[in-house]
Amino acid sequence: MISPLPIEAPVPPSTAIVARTSRGYWREAGGRLRRNRIGIVSGGVLLFFVVVALAAPLLAALITHTDYRSIDLINTFARPLTPSHILGTDELGRDELTRLLFGAQVSMGIGFLAVVVALTIGACVGLVAGFYGGLIDGLLMRFVDMILATPAIFLFILMSILFKPNTITLSLIIASVGWGSIARLVRGEVLSVRTRDFMVAARAFGASDARLIFRHLLPNVLHVMIVFGSLYLGQVVLIEAALDFLGLGISPPTPSWGNMLTNSETYFFHSSWLVIWPGVTIFLTVLAANLFGNAVRDAFDPRLR
Amino acid sequence: MVKYLARRVLATVPVVIGVTLITFALMHATAGSYIPGLDLNPNLKPEDAEAIKRYLGLDRPLYVQYLTWLAGIAHGDFGRSMIDGSLVSSHIFDRLPATLELTITAILIGVLISIPLGIAGALRRGSKIDHALTALSVAGFAVPAFWLGLVLILIFSVQFEAWGLPFLPSGGVMTPGTNGGDPLDRLVHLVLPATVLSFVYLSIWSRFTRSSMLEVLSQDYVRTARAKGMSERRVVYLHALRNAVIPLITLVGLELPSLVSGGLVVEVVFSWPGIGKLLYERALQTDYTTVLGITTFAALLVVAGNLLADVLYATLDPRIRYE
Amino acid sequence: MPAPLLEVRDLKTQFFTPEGVVKAVDGVSFELHAGETLGIVGESGCGKSVTALSIMRLIPRPGRIVGGSVLFEGRDLVGLSAAEMQEVRGESIAMIFQDPMTSLNPVFRVGWQVGEPLVIHQAKDNASAGVEATRMLAKVGIPNPQQRARDFPHHFSGGMRQRAMIAMGLTTTPAVLIADEPTTALDVTIQAQILDLLRHVNREFGMATILITHNLGVVAGMCERVMVMYAGRIVESGPTADVFAHPKHPYTWSLLRSIPRLDADRREPLKPIEGSPPDLIDPPAGCSFHPRCAFRVDRCSHDDPRLQPVGDTQQAACWVTQAGTELPRA
Repeated sequence: MISPLPIEAPVPPSTAIVARTSRGYWREAGGRLRRNRIGIVSGGVLLFFVVVALAAPLLAALITHTDYRSIDLINTFARPLTPSHILGTDELGRDELTRLLFGAQVSMGIGFLAVVVALTIGACVGLVAGFYGGLIDGLLMRFVDMILATPAIFLFILMSILFKPNTITLSLIIASVGWGSIARLVRGEVLSVRTRDFMVAARAFGASDARLIFRHLLPNVLHVMIVFGSLYLGQVVLIEAALDFLGLGISPPTPSWGNMLTNSETYFFHSSWLVIWPGVTIFLTVLAANLFGNAVRDAFDPRLR
Repeated sequence: MVKYLARRVLATVPVVIGVTLITFALMHATAGSYIPGLDLNPNLKPEDAEAIKRYLGLDRPLYVQYLTWLAGIAHGDFGRSMIDGSLVSSHIFDRLPATLELTITAILIGVLISIPLGIAGALRRGSKIDHALTALSVAGFAVPAFWLGLVLILIFSVQFEAWGLPFLPSGGVMTPGTNGGDPLDRLVHLVLPATVLSFVYLSIWSRFTRSSMLEVLSQDYVRTARAKGMSERRVVYLHALRNAVIPLITLVGLELPSLVSGGLVVEVVFSWPGIGKLLYERALQTDYTTVLGITTFAALLVVAGNLLADVLYATLDPRIRYE
Repeated sequence: MPAPLLEVRDLKTQFFTPEGVVKAVDGVSFELHAGETLGIVGESGCGKSVTALSIMRLIPRPGRIVGGSVLFEGRDLVGLSAAEMQEVRGESIAMIFQDPMTSLNPVFRVGWQVGEPLVIHQAKDNASAGVEATRMLAKVGIPNPQQRARDFPHHFSGGMRQRAMIAMGLTTTPAVLIADEPTTALDVTIQAQILDLLRHVNREFGMATILITHNLGVVAGMCERVMVMYAGRIVESGPTADVFAHPKHPYTWSLLRSIPRLDADRREPLKPIEGSPPDLIDPPAGCSFHPRCAFRVDRCSHDDPRLQPVGDTQQAACWVTQAGTELPRA
């Protein structure tokens, strides 16, 4: 006796279409990413810095037993590998390693927050502009042009003197320029996706504008956003470090990898190590973010190799 | 081509208006209630303050002030400093040459080195040299510019001097005390900052040239060229390179707008008396009007620069030139 | 019979890909005589273009000629150094390609490109090469050649570009012209004009012509002899008229049969060839066509047939026809 074929419940057309375009694509991309060794390693390094950032107080208590604020004027500019100061101390005798650990909090915190904010705003603007086209698109894109026309560094400095920056405001300041690029990117992607058949079909089944944008367009532009986000993270860390270095970002005593280098020229003769450490950490973080971003991009579109 | 350019010019108008409008709004918000001259003379009487305000036109309706601002820009007047009343435009005029000297040199170094590096990577694709070059450019992109500057100063200025070697100066445009007439002196001072600034360009452009070259080498017309029996040298340097360089020029063109602002961090690290350093110094003094004036100038320069880049591209690509 | 101009002996070209070794050309042998027109016919992927590119030593990575020889003017082209091969290319053997849209360099003027072989091979200067180029453009039927020579490729239509390509191949009056799908990318009406041009050029210059195409109609109109390729091998060859009238290989037979005819009954279904082209990394055992062959016998699935004379003028690689069986009318 042949058992009857199982009968599936009919799936509403719009969800079926969405499912077909998304599931296999993500799984394939995930597989490609997993097989990319550089991607895995750089992702791991990035994760390492995130963990360090989150666990900084704990790590400090366990490893260095000091606070990043403790000044010790007898022990200034200690060489690395001095007992109880693995990486040495700075001009006020504060332990360098502890300050690096807490600096990770600043960089990672601002990095991720800025990326999330920029992606959110940029995606919304890009989706709306690309979807509606016409006047809305024109207005929004002119606005983006304006933002992108003004030199970013000037804008950052301007905003830093207008609003006193702490971690949150600095993230917002940086993101306030970054959203422009992602908006352009998303809009471009939307323009190519919105004429595809499944969009017409979904519309024919009565989907509303909001549903079309968020249920159908968004999943198809997500890969562009993810790639941009990974690469943008590195940029944010560099920008934030530069602003801190200039004294216009996070200021002491809160340590950040950038502000640890602010007056480094004055202590060139005392300890060159102090110049090396913070730069190395910035470099490693940004390198990991960039390599991971490249790996993510290759995972989504291997043709671009 | 005329039609193409006309369209491009027209597209920049809303951007210009937008930028000037926003900077005007910010200026009004931050300095609008500011009484000029109060810093210099704390005993300023209210009537005199009002007189000064009237003299500076700060009591007129907003839209008139905006139009005055706009008209001023058209004549090259970007406002006055809040601190000492000096003309922003004269500051810009003083400092612009130094900035341009730095950024143009950096771009030239970038282009002149990226092209051979990119070609080398493309021709020896997959070899150890190619991998090394790619690794170098990926790393270069992750290095913070200000840190690179500090490290190079540490090595080539401080340490070299300590070791008794000929050393490079750690900052400034010229040796203090001289009047800047010696070109060799200026060159020696230019080396480190220009190198640091070109570093980022190098990393991006060499990789880009490589991929552009690879793409061109896989084109049908390159196969045709080989079928004609010319040497590989001729194929690469005459037929392929010409096409591969066009996208690079577009990319370089995209950097022209940041000619003024791109060097800010490097200028600060090397005490280079350019516009970036000026903006930074004034920002530390919360001289909003100067900062906004310079920003407006830079933004308008970006718009003009983009236009110029479009023209450059159009002249190089005959497909656009003769439309 | 005078000695052949070009003699290909057991040519083998393979591509070393991550998925495996693709045997694109697997033992191809043929001769080309001076002034002759030879057609190479087959479906996509059968190895006809790769054969031509192998003769020109233009195989791109990851491909390589792994065996055989290409004898031309007393030398084996396969063994030549890069510099020596560069002298042959474009001067003695010229090749034009399928897509005229992308085969011309967009940033150089057409006249300059057409005259370039003269600059390279005959040490002419740009001016005299330009004069020659203009003359050639006129010869291939481009109106206003002086004006057109100064134009860029994007000003030319598809047909004109292909004419320019042909002109480019002619400037050095080579002994052999290889045309790889010269009409495939063109409109049907232009196709006819280009073929006319090729015929005319072959007669006027006495150039041997190898015409590569998947279109049997093109071969019928243009080539004295034809070779049919399948899975990297020649499966049939002979005078065009004979091959078309009585094909000696089931593949040729199926190809001819599958062409829709104007005089056929409209209700009759079309007759495509069953199955799909073979995997060149792991081809079927025995005759590579046997899985799709309507005439196969036992032997075909484990013995690989060689190209042998069948009939008076043709050669075919098929056990069935070599044994004397006649194929029915196509």
